[in-house]
Amino acid sequence: MSNKGVLLFARNNSTIDYVKQAVFLANRIKKYLNVPTSIVTDSINYLNDNFDISVFDQIIPVEYENSMNNRRYSDGALHNMVLNFKNDMRSKAFSLSPYDETIVMDTDYIVSNDLLKNCFNSYNDLQLYKQSEDLASYRDTYEFKYVSDSSIDFYWATVVFFRKTPTNKIFFELIDHISENWTHYRSVYQIDPLLFRNDYAFSIAIHIMNGFADSGFVGELPGKMLYTTDQDLIIDLKNDKMKFLVQKEKHLGEYTALSTNGQSIHVMNKFSLGRIINEAL
Amino acid sequence: MDERLEKALKIGNLMITLNDQKRLLKERFLENLIYYKNGSQFNINKEMLTFVNMLLSQGHETDVVLIDDNSIPVKIEDLSEFYENILDLYFSASNDYLLKYNELKKQRTVERMIDCNE
Repeated sequence: MSNKGVLLFARNNSTIDYVKQAVFLANRIKKYLNVPTSIVTDSINYLNDNFDISVFDQIIPVEYENSMNNRRYSDGALHNMVLNFKNDMRSKAFSLSPYDETIVMDTDYIVSNDLLKNCFNSYNDLQLYKQSEDLASYRDTYEFKYVSDSSIDFYWATVVFFRKTPTNKIFFELIDHISENWTHYRSVYQIDPLLFRNDYAFSIAIHIMNGFADSGFVGELPGKMLYTTDQDLIIDLKNDKMKFLVQKEKHLGEYTALSTNGQSIHVMNKFSLGRIINEAL
Repeated sequence: MDERLEKALKIGNLMITLNDQKRLLKERFLENLIYYKNGSQFNINKEMLTFVNMLLSQGHETDVVLIDDNSIPVKIEDLSEFYENILDLYFSASNDYLLKYNELKKQRTVERMIDCNE
């Protein structure tokens, strides 16, 4: 068993190619974090036939099945589609990971620096991002601070570091339980959207493991979660430099440009990211 | 459109990009100021630099306990070395910030602003 590495979940729907994103990200993880990456996927044949699989340490197959979850995916401000959203396996990361120390990462998190390497040396056995920064300065970020108006702190499940400890096993089993009883927990924590989100499930699990209080069960990952929503477009990506068009405030379909250099970004516009990856791969 | 209004709107777009770029530069500066020691994480800021300097000036050089960003106490065996390292980190990050900031504020078009961040 390798000691430490990154675990990616890639389960395609009819339109979004998460496997392609995972291949792209695994190359960046190798470059910036220099740790092995394993992939959990229900599309083994597609992966083998179309990509260089040597970038992966291990390929972990799971059964193909559609999720009950559907969500709206936007491509900028003017186009969107409702697609199947297979996000219900994150709680299995603990049992599926081949590593003692694992970073679970969404495939749309574009690693562009080595900051996350440090979490392997940290005392904290479980680390997530709590603080975040939208690339668009004007947008209301309340939904990423609290899970609801009268509820608990929001934690991002986009990047999660964990060690295989007995306590973390309980934590991931609790997330599984929350996922299975989502209607109940959604009601208790006064969450409006019907859609199951891992961010919510992780936030609720942290609250419960903290004794229904705000204490130190989790540590925070270094820096902040920088993100762009699916209302924005990524238009260029070269090494650690990215260029974006960010939706303009109160002007539907108009954008302002900005760029990042050496900063890891969670790019929520999967269509736009797919186009950029096509150019890069 | 009135030419005066058109010019003003153009400047408005430029200012949005400029302010976003400034904000992202600051975020990068803050990321560059994260220091790891013995498994603990420290965000290096003016308070931390001054506090460590004060401890040293009071003669506390070995086995000093500091509290990290996650409120975990950590014993620093050699505080002078720790101070040198965080000071180096601060200078390196702040000089990089200054260079990038000065380069950015010279730009007069959106294209140049997003290209200069390289």
